[in-house]
Amino acid sequence: MIRYSLRRVVLLIITLWLLTLLLFSLNYWYPGDPLTNMSGITANNTIAYQQAELARGFDQGLFSQYVLFLQHLLHGDWGISLVTEQPVFGEIKPLLGATLELGLLAMALALVLGIPLGVYAAIQQRGALDRVIMGMSLSAYSIPVFWLAQLFILLFALKLSWSPISGQINPLYAIDVQTGSVLIDILISDSPYKTAAFYNALHHLWVPVVVLAIMPLTMLIRIMRNSVLDVLQQNYIKAARARGLNDRHIMFRHTLPNAMQPIVRQLGLQFSVLMTNIIITEVIFNWPGVGSWLVKSIYERDFPVIQAGLLVLATLILLVNVFVDVIHAWRYPQIRKEIDAE
Amino acid sequence: MSTILDIRNLTIELETSAGTVKVLDKVSLQLAEGEIHTLVGESGSGKSLLAKAIMGFINPRWKITADRLWWRHYDLLSLSPAQRRLVTGRDMAMIFQNPGSYLDPNTKIGDQIRETIPKADLKGIYLRRKASRTVRAERLLHRVGIKDHQKVMESYPYQLSEGVAQKVSIAMAIAHNPKLLIADEPTTAMEPNTRNQIYRLLAKLSAGQGMSILMVTQDLTSIVPESQRMSLVYCGQLMESGATEQLLTTPMHPYTQAMLQMSFFDQDIAPKTRLPTLTGAIPTLQHMPIGCRLGPRCPNARRDCIHQPRLTKFKQREFACHFPIREVKSHD
Amino acid sequence: MPSKSIYYQYREPSPLRLLWLHMNANPFAVVAFYIFSFLLLLMVLSPLMAPYSPDAQFSGAISQPPAWHELGQIQFLFGTDDLGRDLLSRVLAGSVYSLGYPLLATAVAALIGISIGAWAGMSHGVQSSTLNHLLDVVLSIPSLLLALVIIAILGPALHNVMIAITLVLIPQFIHSVHNAFYEERNKDYVAASRLNGCSRWYILTRVIFPNITTVVVMQVTFALSTAILDIAALGFLGLGVQAPAPEWGTMLARSLDQVYLAPWTMILPGVALFLTVLSINVLGDSLRAAIQERVRGT
Repeated sequence: MIRYSLRRVVLLIITLWLLTLLLFSLNYWYPGDPLTNMSGITANNTIAYQQAELARGFDQGLFSQYVLFLQHLLHGDWGISLVTEQPVFGEIKPLLGATLELGLLAMALALVLGIPLGVYAAIQQRGALDRVIMGMSLSAYSIPVFWLAQLFILLFALKLSWSPISGQINPLYAIDVQTGSVLIDILISDSPYKTAAFYNALHHLWVPVVVLAIMPLTMLIRIMRNSVLDVLQQNYIKAARARGLNDRHIMFRHTLPNAMQPIVRQLGLQFSVLMTNIIITEVIFNWPGVGSWLVKSIYERDFPVIQAGLLVLATLILLVNVFVDVIHAWRYPQIRKEIDAE
Repeated sequence: MSTILDIRNLTIELETSAGTVKVLDKVSLQLAEGEIHTLVGESGSGKSLLAKAIMGFINPRWKITADRLWWRHYDLLSLSPAQRRLVTGRDMAMIFQNPGSYLDPNTKIGDQIRETIPKADLKGIYLRRKASRTVRAERLLHRVGIKDHQKVMESYPYQLSEGVAQKVSIAMAIAHNPKLLIADEPTTAMEPNTRNQIYRLLAKLSAGQGMSILMVTQDLTSIVPESQRMSLVYCGQLMESGATEQLLTTPMHPYTQAMLQMSFFDQDIAPKTRLPTLTGAIPTLQHMPIGCRLGPRCPNARRDCIHQPRLTKFKQREFACHFPIREVKSHD
Repeated sequence: MPSKSIYYQYREPSPLRLLWLHMNANPFAVVAFYIFSFLLLLMVLSPLMAPYSPDAQFSGAISQPPAWHELGQIQFLFGTDDLGRDLLSRVLAGSVYSLGYPLLATAVAALIGISIGAWAGMSHGVQSSTLNHLLDVVLSIPSLLLALVIIAILGPALHNVMIAITLVLIPQFIHSVHNAFYEERNKDYVAASRLNGCSRWYILTRVIFPNITTVVVMQVTFALSTAILDIAALGFLGLGVQAPAPEWGTMLARSLDQVYLAPWTMILPGVALFLTVLSINVLGDSLRAAIQERVRGT
C-alpha cells in the first residue's frame, strides 16, 4: 500500500514537472515577447525589463532559462498581471478560495443526494420512480451547463425573485476578502451584521451551487444505481443471504460498501467535470474565482495570469485525482492485486 | 436412519423466448440423516438448479411445482419466503465452485467469519461477545484444517488460494451446525491434492456430527469415497438412484452404464480404438426430446421411449427406464 | 440412428446484429436514433429550409416574440433577436457550426487517435506503459481547459476552435483504443492466431479490431457529445466561433444579456443543443447497455 501511494506521488511529481515544462514552452508559443509573457514586465519599462532579463537568464541558453523559471515559480514569483500590474501570486489566494467554496459545496450536495437516490432507484428497479429518476438523470446530464444556468436565472432570479442574478454578496456588507470563501470570510469578519451577511451570501450562493451540482449528481445517481444492481447480482451477496444474515446487515455491511467502489473511483473524473463547469458558471454568475479570472485573462491576453490560472486549476485537478486514487486503493484492497500484477 | 429431505416429482419451468421449458422434469430425491449423497449430472442437467431449489435461491421467473418438497417436518413450498429463509439459514448451508466469488472482496476474512456466528451462541456483553466471536471463528478455522488462523483472518479473499477459500467457505457454512450441507461442485478446477483434502474434510464433518451432505458433481470420477448413495440426472430427468456401490457395480440404466464406461474405471482400452461415448450431443434447453430425454442418444431406445418411464423401485434403488440393462430379479 | 439434422440448429446472430437487435428492443434508443437522424437531415438541408438568411436583419421586427405570443408574427415562427434576425433561420443555420463541425472534428480525431491507439496497443514494453501513464494524467485535465490553452495561443476563431477541439479529443481516442487493444491482445484467441502465423497487420485488422468495434463506437458517441458541448461552451465564453456566426453557444451568450427582455432568444438554441446532446448520449448509453447485455448473454 505504501509502495502504491509512493508510486502515485512520484507520478504526480513527474506530471507536475511536465506541467511546468508545458507552461514554460507556452510562453514561447504565445504571441509576443516570451519574457513579457513570463514576467508581465513590458519592454516599455526599460530598467525593470533589463533586470528581469538578467534574473530570468534571458542572456543565457534555454536550459538555464527553464531552471530560473522553475526557481521563480517555486518562490511564488509568478510575474505581474499585464492588466492590473499586481503580482499574480497574491491575487490567487482569494480567487482559489471562492472557486473551492463553490466546487466543494456542489460536490457535497451531489454526494449527499446522489448516493441515496441511486440506491433507491436500484432497489425499486424498473419501478415508476426508478424510471423517473433515471430519465431525469439522463436528460439533466445532457443539459449544457451554461443553458441550465440561464434557465435557473430566468426562473429563480427573474420570475420568482428567489435569488439575485449574480455576484457573491451584496457589496453593502463590506466584508473583507481574506480566504476568498465568502462564508468563511463572514464568519471571521467583525462586521456587526454577520447573520444578515451570512444569509445574504447564502442567497447568492445557492443557485450556482445547484447548477454545478446537477451534472455530478446525475452521474452519481446513474453510477450508484448500476453499481448496486451489479453488486446485488454477485455471488457473495447471494451467499450471505443463504447464510441467513438479515437484510439490513447485508445492505450496510456488504452491498453498500462494495457498491461505493465505482463512486470512489469516479470521484476524480467527476471533479474534473465539475471544474470544467465551474469555469463557465463563474463567468455567468460573475463569481470572483479562478475560472472567471482565467477566461477574462484570455480575452485580455494577460499571459502571466493565464499561466497562473492554468497552473492552479491543473494542479488542483491532478492533486484531487491522485488523492482519490490512493483512497480508492486503500479502501478497496482487491484492486491492489491488479496494480501489483501490472 | 430417517429421511430428512424428501423431494417427489419436483418440476421447474422456465419462461424463455422459445416458450416454457422444463429444466427439471419430475425429479425425486430422498436424503437420510447423516448420509453423503452424490448427485451426478453433466452440464445442463439441472443438478445445480436442484440444489438451488432446495436452498431457496429462486428466481421469480421460475415456476416450481412438486408433489413434495419436505425438509424434516417443514413443507418448504408452503412456507413464506421469510420463514423459508429462517429454516434454510438455520438448517442448511451451501458451498460452491469458485469459492472466491462467494466471499465479499472488500471485507477481511475474519470479519466475514465472525458475522456468520449465530448470536444465540454468544454470551456476555458487547466486548466479551466480540472476543468470543473471535475465539469461535478461530476454532472454526481449526476445524476445517487451517492452522495459520491469524494470517487467514487478516487476509482479503483475493489473497487466498482457491483451496483455502473453499475451506473458509466450509468454515462459514458449518458455523451454525447445519443439518444439511449442499456442496455444488466444490472441487472443480482444483488440484487433486487440494481436492482430496476437501473431500476428507467433508467426510469427517459428516461422520463427526451427523451432517448430511448433498455432493453435486459432474462425473463419476469425482465421487467422494465415503458417499453412501448417489443419483444420476440427465437433462433434468432422474435416471437412476441408489447405493453408490451398487450403482457403480451393477448399473440398471443405460445412462449409468454409459457414464461408467466413459469414466474408465479399471478398463484396458486398446490403443487407437474408439472411446466409448453416447452418440450425439446434449440437446439445448429449447429442444428437449419428448418422453425419456436420453431417447435419441440411448443405445437401448425403442418406440416406447417417447413416453416418460415411471420410476421403477426395488431394493432401495430406483431407475427410470423402459428397457433396463438387467432384468429386475424379484429374489434379488 | 438419428441423423444430425433432427437437432434444431440455433443460429447465433452476429455480434453487430445482436447489438442492433438489443438497440431495437429499447424504445428510448430508437427514439434517440430518429431524433439524431432528423437533426442530421435538418443540418444537411438547412440552407434550403431556413426561411431567411441567418444574417438578414428586419428593422421592423426587433425582439419579436414567438408566433404564438399575442405580439408575435407568423412570419417569424420562433421570434427574432435584438437585431431583428429570425431565430428559426439562425438555429437552422447554426446546426452546421454546432453539429457539423463537431462531427468533422470527431471524425478527424477518431482517425488519428485510433491509428495511434492501435499502434500503441500492439507495441510492447516501456513504450506503451509510459504512454498510458501520461495519458491517464493528461485526461484528468478537462478537455475545455486544454482547449482554452490552445485558444489562448492561437486566438479565438472558427478554424482555431476546430484545431483545439480535435487536438483535445485525440488523447481520449488513443487512451480508449489503446486500453481495448491491450486487453484483447493478451487473450487466448489472439495468441492462437499468432501461433497460426497470422501477420501483425492481419491480427490488428481482422482479429482484434472486430472485437473492439463496440468500444470505438462508444468512444465516438462520447467524443461527439464532448465536441458539441465544448464548441458551444467556447462560443458561449466568446472564445470560439465569433459573432455574427449563428453558432448555438454564441447565440446563448448573446441571449444572456437579453434574458430580461427577450427570454425566448435563449430557448430555441438551448433546446436544439440539449436535444442534440441528449440524443447522442441516449444512443451511447443504450449502446453500452446493449454491449453489456450481449456480453452477459454469451
